[in-house]
Amino acid sequence: MSFRNTTRSWGSLSKALHWLIVLLIINQWVIAERAEDLTGFQKFAALNWHKWFGMTIFMLAIVRLLWRLANPVPDLTAETRPWERVLAKVSHVLLYALIFAMPLTGWLMSSAKAYGVSWFNVFQFPDLVGKDDRLYELMHETHETLFSVLVATALLHAAGALKHHFVDRNDVLRRMLPFGRIK
Amino acid sequence: MTNYLAPFAASAMLFTNACSGAEPPAPGPPAAARPAAVADTAAPASPTAAAGALPRFVQAAGDGSLEFEFVQAGAVTVGHFRSFATELEYDENRLAASKLKVTVQIASLDTREKERDEVLASAELFDTGKFPTAQYSATGLAKRGSGLVAVGKLTLHGVTRQVRVPLTIRTTNNGVEISGETTISRLEFGVGQGDWKSTEWVGDDVKLRYRVPLTRSK
Repeated sequence: MSFRNTTRSWGSLSKALHWLIVLLIINQWVIAERAEDLTGFQKFAALNWHKWFGMTIFMLAIVRLLWRLANPVPDLTAETRPWERVLAKVSHVLLYALIFAMPLTGWLMSSAKAYGVSWFNVFQFPDLVGKDDRLYELMHETHETLFSVLVATALLHAAGALKHHFVDRNDVLRRMLPFGRIK
Repeated sequence: MTNYLAPFAASAMLFTNACSGAEPPAPGPPAAARPAAVADTAAPASPTAAAGALPRFVQAAGDGSLEFEFVQAGAVTVGHFRSFATELEYDENRLAASKLKVTVQIASLDTREKERDEVLASAELFDTGKFPTAQYSATGLAKRGSGLVAVGKLTLHGVTRQVRVPLTIRTTNNGVEISGETTISRLEFGVGQGDWKSTEWVGDDVKLRYRVPLTRSK
């Protein structure tokens, strides 16, 4: 398995970024759900973990986008129908947009509420905006709405991959699996 | 939904002129105990502004700023106290006899975020219900470097500690202006109980920055 992508399969860096971001997003959801039930110090700590992981996703998203632009993208199989191509394209664009938009709206929420954001106590990100209660509310709602969009899009994306694997019996899913072998 | 907290402590400074009666406990004997108390004050006998009393300065309500800064989850967080009072008795030629007294209304803390302010004021941090004010009282000033340092006691959260506060005093049209910054440890004053004792999320160091114009008073 090569480090870079080829026109036939994803390279190891692309795979690592893909699955790492998947795991981090699931983790983000778990932390956010749990934080809802917490109060005081525990909630404070949980929300900070959420922010730290969120900013991690944001930085990984930048690397991922740059890596994608600098690498070939494996082709869809010849038998993929036009409507499938459109659906795949739309969901990929949306997913890329969301791994940026989720952290950015979270960051905006934090700045608008006058909470600085750091990365695991290592360094601090700048505040994007000044204190703004209305913007905070708007970003809070947007963050939650975008998460619903993310879940729906990710499910569609996964359903497409599973269809390729079990119905069309091609390599589309396998070539993104960590140890997937291409026929 | 965000519940954070932050810790810190507050401080302030002022002085009191023992002679002026601002600080009642300045009867005869103490003068002897403190070499600094200048002989000409003759104050011990009368708590009123005795001859030789140092010029007295007070902070006009609403004037001046007392900011605090601490690190919360790796991010610098700033706030200020909206309400505090400062009194200074000061003569640049009689620094040792100069006095500074500052009283800070802790519940007036403002970090621009109500939830965080409430957590800060709560029982596990400042506990403003029990300890509404912090006081700094310096019974002398000394030169340090190009500026001054106040030598006194800070009482915060019910705990009193010796604290040296660096400051600069500059003359203005109608009085003086005190400014400077210093850092104190919130945990030394017990600000942060339970989970908040940990410095993992909220740092121990609290930086204080002050700039307080004072006007000459009679």
